[in-house]
Amino acid sequence: MNPGDRVHVERGDTEYEGILMPSTSDTEVVVKLDGGYNVGIAREHSDVEVLETDVFAVGESETNDASTVEFDDDLPTVALISTGGTIASTVDYRTGAVTAQFDAEDVLRAVPDLAGRANYRGRVVANILSENMTPDVWQDLARAVYEEVEAGADGVVVMHGTDTMQYTASALSFMLDTPVPVVFTGSQRSADRPSSDNVMNAVCAVEAAKADCAEVMVCMHATESDDRCALHRGTRVRKNHTSRRDAFETVGAEPLGTADYAGVDSEEVTVSFRRPHVERDEHEVALHDDLETDVELLKFVPGMDPQFLDVLEGKAGVVLEGTGLGHVHTDFIDRIGDLVDDGTTVVMTSQCVEGRVCDRVYDTGRDLLDAGVVEGEDLLPETALVKLMWALANEDDPETAMGRPLAGELTERSVPWT
Amino acid sequence: MSTPEHDYEDLGLVAGLEIHQQLDTATKLFCGCPTTRREPEEATRSVTRYLHPTRSELGEIDDAALEESRVDRAFEYLAFDTTCLVEEDDEPPHRIDDEALEVVQEIAALLDATSVDQGQVMRKLVVDGSNTSGFQRSMLVGTDGEIQTDDGPVGVADLLLEEESAGRVEERDDGVTYALDRLGIPLVEIGTKPDIRSPEQAQEAAAQIGMLLRSTGQVKRGLGTIRQDVNISIAEGARVELKGVQSLADIADIVRNEVGRQVELVAIRDELADRDASVGDPRDVSDTFADTDSGVIAGAAKVMAVPLYGFDGLVGREIQPDRRLGTEFSDHVKRSGAGGIFHTDELPAYGVTAEEVASLREAVDASDDDAVALVAASASVAESAIDAVAERAEVAVEGVPEETRGANDDGTSRYLRPLPGAARMYPETDVPPVDLDLGAVETPELLTERVDRYVAEYGLGEGLAEQVAFGRRMPVFETAVEQGVDPTLAAGTLESTVTKLRRDDVSVENLRDDHFLAVFEAVESDELAKEGVDPVLRALAEDPEMSVEEASEEAGVAGVDESEVRETIAEVVERNGDQVEEEGMGAFSGLMGEAMGALRGKADGELVSAVLREEIQKRA
Repeated sequence: MNPGDRVHVERGDTEYEGILMPSTSDTEVVVKLDGGYNVGIAREHSDVEVLETDVFAVGESETNDASTVEFDDDLPTVALISTGGTIASTVDYRTGAVTAQFDAEDVLRAVPDLAGRANYRGRVVANILSENMTPDVWQDLARAVYEEVEAGADGVVVMHGTDTMQYTASALSFMLDTPVPVVFTGSQRSADRPSSDNVMNAVCAVEAAKADCAEVMVCMHATESDDRCALHRGTRVRKNHTSRRDAFETVGAEPLGTADYAGVDSEEVTVSFRRPHVERDEHEVALHDDLETDVELLKFVPGMDPQFLDVLEGKAGVVLEGTGLGHVHTDFIDRIGDLVDDGTTVVMTSQCVEGRVCDRVYDTGRDLLDAGVVEGEDLLPETALVKLMWALANEDDPETAMGRPLAGELTERSVPWT
Repeated sequence: MSTPEHDYEDLGLVAGLEIHQQLDTATKLFCGCPTTRREPEEATRSVTRYLHPTRSELGEIDDAALEESRVDRAFEYLAFDTTCLVEEDDEPPHRIDDEALEVVQEIAALLDATSVDQGQVMRKLVVDGSNTSGFQRSMLVGTDGEIQTDDGPVGVADLLLEEESAGRVEERDDGVTYALDRLGIPLVEIGTKPDIRSPEQAQEAAAQIGMLLRSTGQVKRGLGTIRQDVNISIAEGARVELKGVQSLADIADIVRNEVGRQVELVAIRDELADRDASVGDPRDVSDTFADTDSGVIAGAAKVMAVPLYGFDGLVGREIQPDRRLGTEFSDHVKRSGAGGIFHTDELPAYGVTAEEVASLREAVDASDDDAVALVAASASVAESAIDAVAERAEVAVEGVPEETRGANDDGTSRYLRPLPGAARMYPETDVPPVDLDLGAVETPELLTERVDRYVAEYGLGEGLAEQVAFGRRMPVFETAVEQGVDPTLAAGTLESTVTKLRRDDVSVENLRDDHFLAVFEAVESDELAKEGVDPVLRALAEDPEMSVEEASEEAGVAGVDESEVRETIAEVVERNGDQVEEEGMGAFSGLMGEAMGALRGKADGELVSAVLREEIQKRA
């Protein structure tokens, strides 16, 4: 008896007939009835008879009917790089949860609306949920993007789970000098539902990849409607909602630009930018993929156990997410001073998320500065973590580097309305 | 055409019902929003979306879904201060509502159904936009139930608990507007087995299921809260799904008329076979009508015609009251965007002359034994519409087509669309499976049992007891009686008084449960006379924000204490001193009327009567 078999189940006076499905529990047999409904029937009270084996290959996606897209000389070439995530996900019948099983070719099949917009080169760097992302995958991805650009891609679209997209986008912002757009996109509603935001996000991302802003960007819904995507600078973007389509926001400024979407059947997507940005071909492609990964991000909270600081001993770098203007409990300051003396670079950011760190206003802040803490200016805590990893491996003076902009991650003027 | 009585057994009538009933739970099935209906004008925001078809878990793509998705349609959703991100498909569904689960299990018990051990919420693909997610969440709760009718038992094939779809507000060329207030209201679907053999049995079965549903006291009432679909076929006919029968009382007529329609279509088929009938190729006959005086045709860009060989007289044949075979053709062209068709069985008419009919026949090589159907419209519409006519006419040669039809108000029906394929479903992974156990469920008292109890326990008359038990205010009655209110007062107020107010055009829909309970309490505590109930309810219906006390003031029936009653009655007796001295108690009834009038319903009749008696005795 295997999933996919046609079975007859007797449970007392009641009989059920249908296709056996993989069950999520040991106590129930799950049968898909002819009407389409799945029902769970208690195993211990049931008599199951197999009528026919392997009626359906349950859970296997069809991969043989690959669409062979013809190369069109008039169209730009866009590299589609998949790392897994909701945009390329399907239902996992073992756990009942949604997991990523598609490669980039499947994405093309899943989003036919991409056809005719570019010539595509598909590539799979990873097939993981974004919460399982690690810095070494960032490095693999940076290398893959570098290779694609070297190979002549006019733009790159990275399909990524939304949970940690902002970290990966930041990492690539520091690791790559790019002459073409590198656009991250994903979806907040899984691709297996008709209402998924993956179609519009993918279409807008491809159009953004064809545009003239040669930066690492995140392209996701700008509103709850399917009307336009926002193009966020990869180092200033943050996922600010657990489930909404428009969860991603640029912190401390308006997004770089937008991609207006006119509907399912409309070819037209208008990409526009409202602020200065790196132009296409302004830079030669270059890869600086070293990272010092021995860096932690610690959020300070009232009543925090000082033992957390023990763990940080000997770290190459620490980003603190302090309160307000950039504070921690005064009792922690001496310990932090010891860390700095021991060679750890300590950077202060704020859990306020919006605004700039300023440790010169209150005594606590001044004491932190005296202890050797570096002010992280208006860096997002998550971006500061990634930047510190990169700066420690690539900059002669990481402390100074943390205070000046390298990839649009830090602004010197606070003008959030622009 | 009157509906002829058929021998349904002889014809091999087979029918089944599908009943959809909204539950009156506090919150929706998958979120904490109230199940309150709203007006579109009350919307506070809106979102616009597109839908895309997806593969089911067995790797199939639904053709119907694909077909629909080819049309570029934007769906606008109106949101309210009573809806949340779940309805907008911007937050995963919460766990399934406990109250709805409880009610559906009660319903399973009432239907004598066997519940499955573990319910699995499924996503049923629906890409017409009526669900923001692109699917309807639905769970099979039970199978194998049975209800009783006078003509024998009717099996219940399945009992489903699902989410109600969003209500359609407006349809435009480029999309549809839906309102999210209805989306997510718990909906129970009951499908019977095809055990029904007569129109009367269909109606009785529907009534029985309706009664069982209402016995839970937790179903919504009013227009649109219950929807009845009927599946009908006869031996020589075909299965037809009739959607949206609004009133229970129409079900028997709907079945009769559908059987009549299928009988007529079978007769037409036989006649067409005798005549060796066939359908020709559609042709452009615009030239024939180049100089026509017919306004409807002259205004059109193109006129297309199709010869129906051997159809003469049959296109105009009535198959349902005031509906002909030609009407069926017209239904089909409406999907192409045309208004309707003309055919030679009804011409000359509409400004089309006999000469034009003759040259039309000539243009398409049709003789007098043939019929010709024509469509006048824009070029593209006329072409696709005439193809639809030809297709439907070819089906007429074969007999009765399987299809989905919509019920009309007059008991007839119109063509809507082909029968849907098997529903495309895959598991709703966001909602964990639910353990179901009917053993833990208390079967509610049937409404019929309730009527008997009201008569026996509360001494209500049979008629009033039935009105209360089956009425929508039954739960208020139960609460009131539980709180010690006189059952006769409660029943009389909730049914007779409310009916009277409604006839007087009072907005009784403004009267809430708490209004009634407060009024009863005022009567029980002697703050309000029974006679004051009617005017106070009128005042409350006018301004539902008032308290009972304020309403009493407003209605001029604010309670008077006994001393005031005595004073007023003393005045009345004094004024009529002569009559009292003369007639003694004989003056009672006349003075009673005057006293009640003076007190204007502010005092209880019994008290007035007692005091009046005393005062008369004093004088006499």
